[in-house]
Amino acid sequence: MLQIVADGLIIGAIVSLGAIGLTLTFSVLRFSNFGHGEFLAWGAYFAFTALSFFGATAAGKAMPIAPFSFGLPLLAATAVAAGLTALLVLLLDAALFRRLRQQGAITLVIASFGAALALRNLLLFFYGGVPLYYSQDLQIALVLLPRSVSGGLRITPDQMFVLGLTLFTVVGVHLFLSRSTLGRAMRATSMNPQLARVAGIDPERVLRATWVVGGVLAAVAGVFAGLTVQLRPTLGLDLLLPLFAAVILGGIGSVWGAVLGGLIVGLAESAAVHIVGAEYRAAAAFVVLIAILLVRPTGLFAEKTG
Amino acid sequence: MSTPALQIESLVAAYEPGLPIVRGASLSLATAEILAILGPNGAGKSTLVKAAAGLVPIVSGKVWLHGRDITQVPAHRRVFEGLAFVPQTENVFGNLSIGENLELAAAILKLPRAQALAPVYAMFPDLQRQRGLLASRLSGGQRQMLAVARALIANPRVLVLDEPSAGLSPKLVAEVLAQLRLVRDSGVSVLLVEQNVKAALAVADRAAVMVEGVERIVADVQSLRGDPRIAELYLGRHVVAQPTARAD
Repeated sequence: MLQIVADGLIIGAIVSLGAIGLTLTFSVLRFSNFGHGEFLAWGAYFAFTALSFFGATAAGKAMPIAPFSFGLPLLAATAVAAGLTALLVLLLDAALFRRLRQQGAITLVIASFGAALALRNLLLFFYGGVPLYYSQDLQIALVLLPRSVSGGLRITPDQMFVLGLTLFTVVGVHLFLSRSTLGRAMRATSMNPQLARVAGIDPERVLRATWVVGGVLAAVAGVFAGLTVQLRPTLGLDLLLPLFAAVILGGIGSVWGAVLGGLIVGLAESAAVHIVGAEYRAAAAFVVLIAILLVRPTGLFAEKTG
Repeated sequence: MSTPALQIESLVAAYEPGLPIVRGASLSLATAEILAILGPNGAGKSTLVKAAAGLVPIVSGKVWLHGRDITQVPAHRRVFEGLAFVPQTENVFGNLSIGENLELAAAILKLPRAQALAPVYAMFPDLQRQRGLLASRLSGGQRQMLAVARALIANPRVLVLDEPSAGLSPKLVAEVLAQLRLVRDSGVSVLLVEQNVKAALAVADRAAVMVEGVERIVADVQSLRGDPRIAELYLGRHVVAQPTARAD
């Protein structure tokens, strides 16, 4: 039982970080970006490239920080990946979305499908289809509770790191949105774009900030997905449905909703693996999504506008 | 005559290219005066002030603010130039409190919070008392006061309002419009669109009547009260001339 919760929280942490970016881009740019999953995948692969670059230059194999499977280079690689992913997202906006902004949401959604296809296949082209790993070392899970207590609880140090850094990131995003002027300007624009403009907020600046925040969070989520599972070009595609389920569950536009939605989707997936088998894992997000749409279509924490 | 606070010159504005709503309107707003724009539905009153605020594309013509051409200035820069706009609906951030709405306005303009809020709270003591209240929970009148207060945070030289009396009870209309007189008395020029002719003529110094995208009459309110041309322009001669009933 506890193991289901722990596993679910780790999947949930990854989904939450991706979902925050997705919900922010939805509420500020007003379209569902089906390319968002690919930002996670590109973030994960950017980190892989940065890591191999650091490994090659930093005299042999970098020492892991005990007890984690990775060392400081992965943290540095994550930072590089976050920057590169933000850059990639801004380039994509300049090359594609900005040109279509006046055409309406449907055009942007379809364009985002195209962008997702292109981005995914570029990954396949550059890195190949064979799964990759940040570290070849096998990590031994720590036994936090023996099997006799509620079925036991085993968790790897890397997984604990993922949970901790997710919490840290979510609090950071919350403070950015609630305290900083740019963050408040982003919320104001999502609530009422026209009033935000006449109040003196530059819409293009807010748009860029939203893309950057979404890209950075996607990269971090992608690295976490690569760290706890593996890197493969379909990483983004596989996470896309859980991301959307989390966003809709939490209420479109709500950051805390996305976090809670992500955790619920993660728990549902983890429960599905234990209860009905791993092959049904992907269906769990579907079931959650259908349930929300039936019971509470506005989500748990929909931000009111006006 | 001194430079007008706001001058609109032969303005043509359109949401869709080739379909102008404002068709060559010209207006001049003096310093510390209230000019009301009146006219029937669809006359282009709201479009005119939205174009002045930068929210509707200007096809041709000019907008001058204290002698400076702001026609090409994007909407979000106009508030820095001294022109503040209060939209007709959704003119406050509903899920922020009164205080947060005003603080946000000050933060965007990079104004020190206490200094920016004090004069506005002095003018609207009710807002200060209820500053913790969510804007979405305010009554129509309070909401309008907050919308005006939010615009005044910028310390504008020209305040433009799109139908501040929309949806308000007659008593509240009088209250909101009386507040605009205070704003004017503090040296701000006020341009407002009004459907409520009687209330507008009671508060404004001058009024312009727009018909089909152009101003037809611009005059002091004293001379406009009881002017038969106003009723005529509102009803429209061609409307009056139409047959009263149709077979279907």
